[in-house]
Amino acid sequence: MIVERADFVSVPVTDMERATAFYGNTLGLPQISEAGFPEFQLGENVSVYLIRMESIGSAFTAPHSAHLALRVPDVAEARSELEAKGVEFDGETLDSGVCHMAFFHDPDGNALMLHRRYAPRD
Amino acid sequence: MIDVERVDYIRIPVTDIEAANEFYGGVLGFARSPNSPADDWVEYEAGNVTLVVMTPHTHDDEFTPLPPGTIALRVADVADAKASLETAGVEVNEMWDSGVCHGAGFRDPAGNAILLHHRHAPYPDGSTPDEQS
Repeated sequence: MIVERADFVSVPVTDMERATAFYGNTLGLPQISEAGFPEFQLGENVSVYLIRMESIGSAFTAPHSAHLALRVPDVAEARSELEAKGVEFDGETLDSGVCHMAFFHDPDGNALMLHRRYAPRD
Repeated sequence: MIDVERVDYIRIPVTDIEAANEFYGGVLGFARSPNSPADDWVEYEAGNVTLVVMTPHTHDDEFTPLPPGTIALRVADVADAKASLETAGVEVNEMWDSGVCHGAGFRDPAGNAILLHHRHAPYPDGSTPDEQS
């Protein structure tokens, strides 16, 4: 089987208006589709759908735990900007030795991360 | 407004890293990144994004499987991909047609719900996913 690419990721939400405001206004992501499910562009390579699980015959049981690592130019600056908008982060920004990571959640608890690798791969 | 340049990676939580490596590398056929930093944090390249197969319990975290539809993998033909996975012993749900795309869900060995996906209809502006890749 050949997988060409990841078409999209989705996050389950309980309050679509609140979630749309978070991804669109707080994070400032461009919304690229309003039909059906709101879709936002996460930088150059991936988009995210906000989904009410009831609308696909399911139910919200838990937020997703898959941290989406959002690449930003500077984690400290981006964190300060989000904190000024009321976003709470989980602990201090982590320096892994090769990258900075700052963990936070959307209003439904879906796992997100500000990320910037500063060390070369080799 | 923060400047999100791209998604660097998506974490896929698993409980058995060996079973997960066999599944993501062997069954799904993703290329394992030589830059994977540790045996409990293995990176696979899925075209436009990196998937990190990792064990939460070795990273001060708890395992919770992904809910349905979290990651939609584009394949050329969902029915063919479903048959291919089933031949490899993977249980795949019935294929559905939303009117614009085909989809079929399955689970990895840890129970993460993943979607085979292919949009067969053009977007409202007439373009197709292939043109927008």
